[in-house]
Amino acid sequence: MELVLEQLQGIPTIYVIQLLFWLLAGLISFIFSLGNARIWTSISVGFFLILISQFYLLNKLIQTPTTTAFSYIIGTVAIMLITHGFLDYYVFCRTFEISGRKETVYLTTVLLLALSWVFLIINPEPSMFTVRNIKMVENAIWVFLTIINLELIRKIYYAIRDSSIAKAFICFGVVFLLIFLWKGSELYLQVFQWDRLWGNIAFKLDLDQVGAHLDLKLDDSDAYWRRISFARHVFDYAGALAAIAVSGTFAYLYRLLK
Amino acid sequence: MFQLPKGNPLFENLAVAKLKLTDVVTKLANGSFTGYASFSFPDATGILVFESGKLASTILLPVQGPALNDFEAMTTLADLMAGSATGTLDVYRLSMDLTMCVHALLQGKALYRSQELALIDVKTLLERVKDERMNGCLRIYTDEKSAMIFYKDGSPLGFFHDGAQDIDTSPGESQQLAQDPRAKLDLYTTVSADELMAHDLLDVINVPKIWDAAVARQQAEMERLNRELADKDRMQSLNLVNSLENQVRAIYVDYVGNVGRGIIDKELTVAGGNSCLLDEAQADQLLAALERAAKLLISQKKIAEMKEKVTALLTQARA
Repeated sequence: MELVLEQLQGIPTIYVIQLLFWLLAGLISFIFSLGNARIWTSISVGFFLILISQFYLLNKLIQTPTTTAFSYIIGTVAIMLITHGFLDYYVFCRTFEISGRKETVYLTTVLLLALSWVFLIINPEPSMFTVRNIKMVENAIWVFLTIINLELIRKIYYAIRDSSIAKAFICFGVVFLLIFLWKGSELYLQVFQWDRLWGNIAFKLDLDQVGAHLDLKLDDSDAYWRRISFARHVFDYAGALAAIAVSGTFAYLYRLLK
Repeated sequence: MFQLPKGNPLFENLAVAKLKLTDVVTKLANGSFTGYASFSFPDATGILVFESGKLASTILLPVQGPALNDFEAMTTLADLMAGSATGTLDVYRLSMDLTMCVHALLQGKALYRSQELALIDVKTLLERVKDERMNGCLRIYTDEKSAMIFYKDGSPLGFFHDGAQDIDTSPGESQQLAQDPRAKLDLYTTVSADELMAHDLLDVINVPKIWDAAVARQQAEMERLNRELADKDRMQSLNLVNSLENQVRAIYVDYVGNVGRGIIDKELTVAGGNSCLLDEAQADQLLAALERAAKLLISQKKIAEMKEKVTALLTQARA
């Protein structure tokens, strides 16, 4: 217990807040998924998985490269499920067709996660580079699918704008805008190797020395510290706000559909 | 329509709907019947006069319009019989002489028609009847009453007036009527009963064919009417179910929003059209499908309200 508290004290406050709100959002969305239509199950289970994926923030407690990589894969599955749900909702708005079963969604999700775990354990333990690559892939998929989801939500809103649920889709629009900023800012940092994972790699490999030896400037973060700082702030606050927005949106949705 | 003497009634008030014209004619002809058969319908009266089983005359007297004779009368009578549910048949046996007079009244040669009695010398007329040994019928009438004197070879056979069942031997009513200044007179003559028997309309008119044709026409008419009735029922049912669909659609769209129009259209197509609304089981299935879609758009509370309204509407429509 002491170890847990010690480790928690080492986590920045903003991440603790983020984690608490993701916990709240995860619980609300999961409960919501149980009592609603199949399409909502995909969306809400997806948002619930964000909570699981955010456990990497506690990586000091469960720190292994495999578990960290797995939490990133869970994040990727999360946005794929969410997108699948919104795509189904959009198809419903256009064709009025509802297909599939809730059980299928739960089972498929579990199966996907199990296969991902198998993929990780049958391969060599991920290196620092691999873990960072997986995180980059996750962020790239999030950014791309978030844009797709924003477009789907716009179309869904126009199809059902006189229905009582329409306002909830405006809330989802805000959620995805914040998620876009959250994931996009991290991807931006990763692309230019200004992210914390790269910082750890650079520290462990002593890249400053390597650069000096090769007469190369391998770390340009000093030159761009303002934008790096801005991007990190966006990442921290947009992530927290996204968690709050998801909690609020599902609570609102629950009230609308009760 | 004037009344005829009833003589000896063989049948009275037989329902025509249960009879076939061919059977009636054949029975009377084979039975050497003398007298007349009167077919009464709401719009017309048909009379077949028989002398010893020979059809002497056929006449159809519509309530409005001119009388029809022979073939035309038989054809129309067959049509009326085949299509009537309310007609009645009376058959009265008469003496041959009286039958001859009835024939004269119905189809005899008219020497006088609607002649005002005040303008003629009745005495001279009666002498002429006697002198020329006429066979026939002298009819005296006003708008309210009529009386008839039947003659054979110029001598009166008897007297008959409205309200009487049979002919009378005294001219009381006829004389009384003749004194009415508004009275008019018809005088019809015919050949003798023996000459009348020389002709049989049944040799000329093919009654079975006429009857078969009338039945066929009636069946065709009934089929046409049934088709029209079925079409009308179908249209009424269609209008009812269309109206029901519109009401269900209005309720659903009111709760779900405009997207509900598309959902209703799709679910009705899946259910095989709006006729499913009148079938309880199919309507329940439709309602379940509508509820399933509504779960994505509105609250459970509103869904329950919407279902309640739609169910009440459908129950009322089915009742």
